[in-house]
Amino acid sequence: MGVKRRPSTFVLKVNPILCDGFGHCAELAPELVNVDEWGYPIIRQEPTKINNAGAYESAKYAVRGCPRQALQIEKITDAQP
Amino acid sequence: MLALTSPYFWYTTRATGMVALILFTIVVTMGTLVANRVGGTYVGRFEINELHRSLSIVAMLFLVIHILSTVLDSYVSTGLISAIAPFTSSYRRLPVAIGTIAFDLMLCVWVSSLLKVRIKNSSWRFIHWFSWLAFASAAAHSFLTGSDSHKPWGLAVIGLCVLVVALAGLWRFFGRPVRAAGRTALSPLARAPLAKTSNSRPASSQKVVRRR
Amino acid sequence: MIAPSSLPRLIHQTTRRPLTLVEHEQAFSSSGEVVDALKELEASGLMGRGGAGFPTHRKVELLRSQRSRTKYVVVNAMEGEPASHKDRSLIAANPHLVLDGAEALAAMIGAKHIAVCVAREFSTTINHMERAIHERQRRSQRGPLIELHTPPGRYVAGEESALVHWLDDNQCLPQYRPNRPNVLRIGQGVVLLDNAETCANVGLIARYGAEWFRSLGTSLHPGSLLVSVTGAVSHPTVMEVAAGTPIRQILEAAQADRDPQALLLGGYSGEWISGRNIDLSFDNAALKTVNASVGAGIIFVLPKSGCGIGEIYNIVRWMANESARQCGPCAFGLPSMADDLGLLLAGSKEAGAALRRLNEQASQIDGRGACHHPDGVVRFVRSSLRVFEDDIRAHASGRPCAGARGPRFATVPRLERGDELVWE
Repeated sequence: MGVKRRPSTFVLKVNPILCDGFGHCAELAPELVNVDEWGYPIIRQEPTKINNAGAYESAKYAVRGCPRQALQIEKITDAQP
Repeated sequence: MLALTSPYFWYTTRATGMVALILFTIVVTMGTLVANRVGGTYVGRFEINELHRSLSIVAMLFLVIHILSTVLDSYVSTGLISAIAPFTSSYRRLPVAIGTIAFDLMLCVWVSSLLKVRIKNSSWRFIHWFSWLAFASAAAHSFLTGSDSHKPWGLAVIGLCVLVVALAGLWRFFGRPVRAAGRTALSPLARAPLAKTSNSRPASSQKVVRRR
Repeated sequence: MIAPSSLPRLIHQTTRRPLTLVEHEQAFSSSGEVVDALKELEASGLMGRGGAGFPTHRKVELLRSQRSRTKYVVVNAMEGEPASHKDRSLIAANPHLVLDGAEALAAMIGAKHIAVCVAREFSTTINHMERAIHERQRRSQRGPLIELHTPPGRYVAGEESALVHWLDDNQCLPQYRPNRPNVLRIGQGVVLLDNAETCANVGLIARYGAEWFRSLGTSLHPGSLLVSVTGAVSHPTVMEVAAGTPIRQILEAAQADRDPQALLLGGYSGEWISGRNIDLSFDNAALKTVNASVGAGIIFVLPKSGCGIGEIYNIVRWMANESARQCGPCAFGLPSMADDLGLLLAGSKEAGAALRRLNEQASQIDGRGACHHPDGVVRFVRSSLRVFEDDIRAHASGRPCAGARGPRFATVPRLERGDELVWE
């Protein structure tokens, strides 16, 4: 009855048009981002728990550190009752 | 206007000016290192980026102290307005004006970078290119104003800074990485014609879509 | 006059030139029974004919729920797919059908502007459409303002976000749209974008109702489809068929090769099906069983004398060239896949490694572009690897098939050099 749900998981999303393959995200958040042979990020698709503090911090650093501001953290709220 | 007569203001101006120039040289060089994707094996690319960002704050700090001490000093009559508006100083009008221009440009670059998350990426990049012009103005200002640039060591420092940035600029251009996002754009001459209806409508009718 | 009761519906009563407005109104006089066009559209179950097959009424509902003051209807007649001719044929037969539908959609969502987009290379189509718009304007100054726009005819220019980007900012480059469902925008206004054939069907539904529309086709895939048949045919044909017609019948009617090696459905970003499956009916439910779909109604016929790898190589090489090059995985990955296919075609020593690399890169590139161009190419390559497995194995072990050095059946436009590419 109107209970506020806090987001429990998050996903890192990249804007592929802005991304220029600098690769800072892979250095700052290696548990979430891998780099392909041309230097562009391959990001983990499965949502990560927000209380996984290490991963969440890394994600925030990656968003801040991207030279093209191409990353965003998308928080997902669980749809459970 | 508060104008103190201590000679230390004058010394501070000259000293912080020199230091700011050196720091900005390093900042510009680090920027080139970031753009040319240096690092990844021994030093992280993100580390170079962070250094670039942090150093720019320190350099800006020295620049601000340089300007403040100039303004506060009564030995030379530059008002506070000369910090932002060029050609308003009665003391060495042209060199100070060039310095003011350098500061204005640098301020734009700096503020746009602080607000990087809020502004469009293309706007940020456009403004950031002006950092090269800002440095050139700063170097010219150092040389022309230079109470110290007459002396050999002053000249050597300025010359070295200019040389380093010039080399960095050349490397930035010739050593730039192959980009995927290098889509070719047509020349403006070949733009598409606008809507092709034979309009029997009155001229006041609104165009369907915006054209920039 | 009674509603056209059987096929053809869209290409009904054609002459050698497009129908004029008067002729169109005589041929398609309203039956007067349709009261609520929107309800009829929902009941009809019309699915988009541009390739994605999204239910049209859901798009309309989404646009109706938008509170924006300015709304646009955009008709996509770009037809950037080289194997497709249906939109051009439709406009050459009767452009007023398309405009009827566009006006019906504009009325449903409350739009006052309609933009019809035709690729600037199709001068005949542009002329037909211009004349039709002019006829309408001469008849009545009321109603939505219809304009014709002519973006450059790139493959990705027909992608909906690229088309809207062109109308907004003069650059036909796809945009990043992370939130689904995402409404297209031009400035502050929202956009309903539909394929030309979809619009034509909407126009007919608004005249004759959902029951009439559903009288042809299957229950899950109702209505008629325009099908472009190319490849091993005497000449490329566009036909109107009821959804659910067996493919064999379509091939016979088009006078195509009756015993093909394989068929490519859905154009150059679609899927192959083996020639053994031509008895399947041409609707989404049946084609799903062989991992294919109707798409934009394109059937490319590859005869037994053709070389699948050769066709695939040409197609992927061209698709790689058509990339907007905005995103790294597409700009670098597609040319790399094309090169690997070239090695496979030649049957060189590295063919085995090339095949492995092809599989890896397909998984890597999938889904990592802003638009679905790389996804389409990956889907195409994966279906090729499945359907032409034996042929590929032969090529990979250094024994290319007989057709490898023969002529190609798929028409692929000339590859342009980098400096010739037109994006604005």
